[in-house]
Amino acid sequence: MIGNLLQKNNLLKKDNLIVFIFIFIGLIVCLIADDYLLYVATSWLIFGILGLSLDLLWGKAGILSLGQTIFYGLGGYAGAVTSINFSSTIGNTFILALPIGIFVGVLTAGIIGYFIFYGRMGELQTTILTYAAVLVAWTSTLTFSYTFGEAKVAGDNGLSNIPSMILSFGEGVSELSEKGMFLSLLLISVLLLIGCQRLIKMPFGKVIECIRQDSHKTELLGYDIRKYQTILFMISGGIAGLGGALFALWGNYLNPSMFSVTEALLVPIYVLVGGIGTLVGPFLGAISIGALSFYLGGFSGGQATLVIGIILILMVLFFDKGIMGIILSIVNKFIKKPFREEAIEINIGKYNIAITSRWKKIRTDQVFKSFGGVIPVNNIDLEFNAGTTCIIGPNGAGKSSFLKVCTGIYPIDNGKVFLDSLDITNYELHDRVKQGIGIKMQKPQVFKSFSIKENIWISAYSKTRNVSLTNKTTNDLLEIFGGKKQGHRSADSLSHGEQQWLDIIMVLALEPSVICLDEPAAGMTKGERRKLSTLINILSKTRTIILVEHDMDFVKSLNPKVAVLHQGSLFTTGNIDEVCQNENVLDIYLGRK
Amino acid sequence: MDFDYLLVVFLSSLSSASILIMATLGLSLLFGLMGIINLAHGEFIMYGAYAALTLVSVGFPYPVAILFATLFTALFGMVVEKLIIRRLYGRILYTMLATWGLSMVMYQSVVLIFGTVTPGLDFKQSNITIGDYSMSSYLLYMIPLTVLLLVGLYYLLTRSKYGIMARACIADPQTAAAMGMKTKKLNMITFSIGSGLAGFAGAIILPLVSATPNMGFAFVIKSFLTVVVAGPLALSGTAVAGSFLGFISSTTASFYSSIIGDMLFFTITILILRFYPNGISNKWRFKL
Amino acid sequence: MNISKNLLLSSLLVGSSLLSGDIKVGAVFDLSGGLNVYGIQQSRALHLAVDKINKNGGLNGDKVKVVEYDSQSELSKYTQFANTLIRRDKIAALFAGLTSSSREALRPLVRKAKIPYFYGSLYEGGACDKYTFVTGSTASQALKPVMKWATETYGKKIFIMAPSYNFGTISGHWVKKYAEELGAEVVGEDYLPLTLSDFSPTIQKIQRSKPDFVVALPVGTNQNGFLEQFTAAGLKKSIGVVSTNHGSGNQQIALSPQAGKGIVSGKGYFEEIDNKTNNEFKAAWNTAYGHNEPIISGAVDVWNAVNLWAMAVNKAKTSSSKEVIAALESGLSFDGPSGKVNMLPKSHHLQQNIYLAKGSNKQDFKIVRTYKNMIPEYEESKCDLIKNPTLAKHFEPKK
Repeated sequence: MIGNLLQKNNLLKKDNLIVFIFIFIGLIVCLIADDYLLYVATSWLIFGILGLSLDLLWGKAGILSLGQTIFYGLGGYAGAVTSINFSSTIGNTFILALPIGIFVGVLTAGIIGYFIFYGRMGELQTTILTYAAVLVAWTSTLTFSYTFGEAKVAGDNGLSNIPSMILSFGEGVSELSEKGMFLSLLLISVLLLIGCQRLIKMPFGKVIECIRQDSHKTELLGYDIRKYQTILFMISGGIAGLGGALFALWGNYLNPSMFSVTEALLVPIYVLVGGIGTLVGPFLGAISIGALSFYLGGFSGGQATLVIGIILILMVLFFDKGIMGIILSIVNKFIKKPFREEAIEINIGKYNIAITSRWKKIRTDQVFKSFGGVIPVNNIDLEFNAGTTCIIGPNGAGKSSFLKVCTGIYPIDNGKVFLDSLDITNYELHDRVKQGIGIKMQKPQVFKSFSIKENIWISAYSKTRNVSLTNKTTNDLLEIFGGKKQGHRSADSLSHGEQQWLDIIMVLALEPSVICLDEPAAGMTKGERRKLSTLINILSKTRTIILVEHDMDFVKSLNPKVAVLHQGSLFTTGNIDEVCQNENVLDIYLGRK
Repeated sequence: MDFDYLLVVFLSSLSSASILIMATLGLSLLFGLMGIINLAHGEFIMYGAYAALTLVSVGFPYPVAILFATLFTALFGMVVEKLIIRRLYGRILYTMLATWGLSMVMYQSVVLIFGTVTPGLDFKQSNITIGDYSMSSYLLYMIPLTVLLLVGLYYLLTRSKYGIMARACIADPQTAAAMGMKTKKLNMITFSIGSGLAGFAGAIILPLVSATPNMGFAFVIKSFLTVVVAGPLALSGTAVAGSFLGFISSTTASFYSSIIGDMLFFTITILILRFYPNGISNKWRFKL
Repeated sequence: MNISKNLLLSSLLVGSSLLSGDIKVGAVFDLSGGLNVYGIQQSRALHLAVDKINKNGGLNGDKVKVVEYDSQSELSKYTQFANTLIRRDKIAALFAGLTSSSREALRPLVRKAKIPYFYGSLYEGGACDKYTFVTGSTASQALKPVMKWATETYGKKIFIMAPSYNFGTISGHWVKKYAEELGAEVVGEDYLPLTLSDFSPTIQKIQRSKPDFVVALPVGTNQNGFLEQFTAAGLKKSIGVVSTNHGSGNQQIALSPQAGKGIVSGKGYFEEIDNKTNNEFKAAWNTAYGHNEPIISGAVDVWNAVNLWAMAVNKAKTSSSKEVIAALESGLSFDGPSGKVNMLPKSHHLQQNIYLAKGSNKQDFKIVRTYKNMIPEYEESKCDLIKNPTLAKHFEPKK
């Protein structure tokens, strides 16, 4: 318990510490640096903000977007146009530029994000698509020429005469000094940093982390990952747009080269050099790269690009955790792990069934699924009611495939699936989970870098969407694992069997009406199987359970109804004893026919 | 709309598509066979062009120069694989970033050695006449050359011992190694073949362009997108994607404007990705 | 007696050298990256000019010191280093920029800092700012004589091939305007993205519209491919090719000899110009830098700029901005390698000679025609900084 507290405070402390150090260094720089260095350092903070927008996506969600400069550039242009037109009367350019920069960033990211995430594009395709989008933006802005009031966007000649950062309101007010600009950026950067840190700690951020670790499992928990990814993308776009607007005010000039490939690829460099996933890393990276190219560029024939290229290669090969990574690994040497890890005793007796959900009938109607020439599910009609049904059959019969068809992991080619009277044939995976279908796949699917407690928490949250209720449910379910003192253990430190149990408990946390289990006993000891059998028998009184299994002893201990599959089709049904005596079933198992 | 113009547009679009396919093959081989995105691909093309140009300027006949340029880039690819790529297998995004750093280094090295203006050389050019129009014959040669290249690669990868082993290595490296195949060496060979193909493309288009340090950049954008549209089957996917995209954008440019042709290229790519996120050849049942 | 007089003199001299300071000028050029073919020569010209000035005693007794940075062919570096020069190095004048975008980025900076800025490169024209002085030729300034000569030599049907950004599209506009004045007709145009490598569509379009000559404005050696493929298709026999920027970056060398042959380019300077000043200039250049490649017009633009600025400083007897700008606006003339150039007070642009040169099959040029003292008419008509000193914009002809 103490350890738990320490761990939690550690994280909080770490975040706050980083922010304090950031502010501290910033204030020192402000005091000692000359105006000129402050001016340049302001731009480094702006690039840091741009990098932050990518780190949110890449470091926290695993989405490498090479298109952050689109939001940055568009936000910049939008902010510049409003500033040019209204600053002479209103004064304050922050109000004029920043909100619209954010808005444009969010909007553009929403459109692109919808395209990517609702189109369910793979990781690589997403990256390439964002890269292609930058190219399109670049080619089009080179030729785009239009005058918005006082602001003349002149294609490659850019948008000039953008006013500087002005804080006061009214006409003819003076711009901020270099100190003022730097302090404004410092403030904005710190606020963004804190905001992102908080975001990651909220349930939203936790789901994002789950998506990064195992997006499939996250969806199996009932989260609409597309929505989460798109929202994060929009937040990231807004941050980039904000950065662009600030850049416009800083440099007084914008140009389509903002959308160039070189600029686009600088952003991942900032993130990598600083430390991916650390949120403060991009600022470190931007400052380092900015300072490096600045001092190197002073030499004529300066080969800054060459050096940066070499740095990138070396970083990727040897220092892929970046500067923060190096710092953290040194710091971690001083933080001891508080406990010794012991084996976990699974205590099924501690499981309190919530009476909030009851069984639902699940029925398939001529479901058909093929992959090219292979047909794993061939026009199967089956109905599952309360209690346990085991699906058995020889290897390759299509048992797992059938289960996947019921849960929606495989979209079907033909036929229908019904949940009670609801036609869920076209329902997405997460929607089916929300309707009450829970599935545990063959291999244990847990979030490896989360603790047991966090794993259970994120599953419970999916159902309740209420933090205090989730906390209570989590603590209850944690009792099965031996209580809170085991809760902190990370999932990847568990044995295979323990992970299987965690997976099962996570499914139960969803309080499903229909539970699909694909060889849940695989890799379990005899004692564990007995516990599992007990659990399933308890559950089968109030839920529908569909079980795929090979182990006949285990199956017999459940006294289930049985459906036998053979070569994708339904062979026969009955109770376990009938089926075991059935000569035909023996034939197909032994390959006699 | 006179028939001659249509014919000329048809032939030259086919030729543009062929050039696109040739320039893309190296990249798609690396992606389809090894899952690697090599952002330095354009620079490999450029290295091939410069190597060939240098050799021709000291007196080698052009076909020989092409051969040696290809070998040179293949060898360079081998070195790159050993030093960099090998350590990054399985980490696609990091490979992308490392190769992007490599592209900057390759680009700057050429600028340092050759400067930005290298003397161009005369290549024997002939042209054919179709009605009122004339067209460079060299452009036409690209079409059968590309077909030959595709067929040759197909046989290399499906019938030769190297080819079968290379594909096995990539399909399941552990099993392949367990069967005694030298996976490291095979991967190195595959990467150098991909690099060599890029160098070949650079060397072969020399009569059509001026060799400049950033010539690769013009190709890389479209090759990149073609690879993604093509999908996992390196040869058939690239052939179809390259033909389709290259042909359409070239034809559109011939009737409207080059900008529209380019924008169409990008837009169609985005649309195809929307409906075939893993490329068009994702569900095809060919071997390659 | 002599010794003490000498001592007195030398101590006076020492004293005066302690009193006088250096005049700092800033330079930002693309010394590395894709554009360094221009930047390196621009920088050399600057140093050559400054060295000569210093050798001749400096300006008002002060030596000129150059603080230089490499913009690495990246736009963001231009603004970065200009800021350094202005805020930290406290320069008296800035010589920088190649592309129009670099100039537009620098213009507001020098305006805020109130120091004179010299843009030494050919461009599409239209810049108008109290603190900006342009020594490069403008599109309209060069195109007018080129168009006249081309319509007289080849015929009245024209096709435009240009890059798809400002320089190309605005030049295209001028072609159409002068075509109208000359009674010629633009039968087709194609604006190409800089990343394009497939020129077949353009070449086919050209053939379809059957022009007498093509105005080709390829930017960057990438677009040289157009000229190669145009030649390979055998079109040069029947269609002429003229340009106003071919050769500005020694593209004639990167081109194959057969592609470069016969292309006519109209610019403010070619190395092949035969006059005394140019010969001296070339000799000095070769002594300082050797002769690896032809001298480009951008170098001479910067040479002219530095010398005009030096003249203004001498005339104003100070290097402080207000007086120098007034001196620059007083009608200065300078004898440069391309002939006499006049800094026009109203538009801050240069009246200069425009030379028409034809590419040979040896990857160089032969001067064909000289047009003396060409005035940048558009700039003079739109931009009167004497009457309207607060004007600060970039004029573009209405479409």
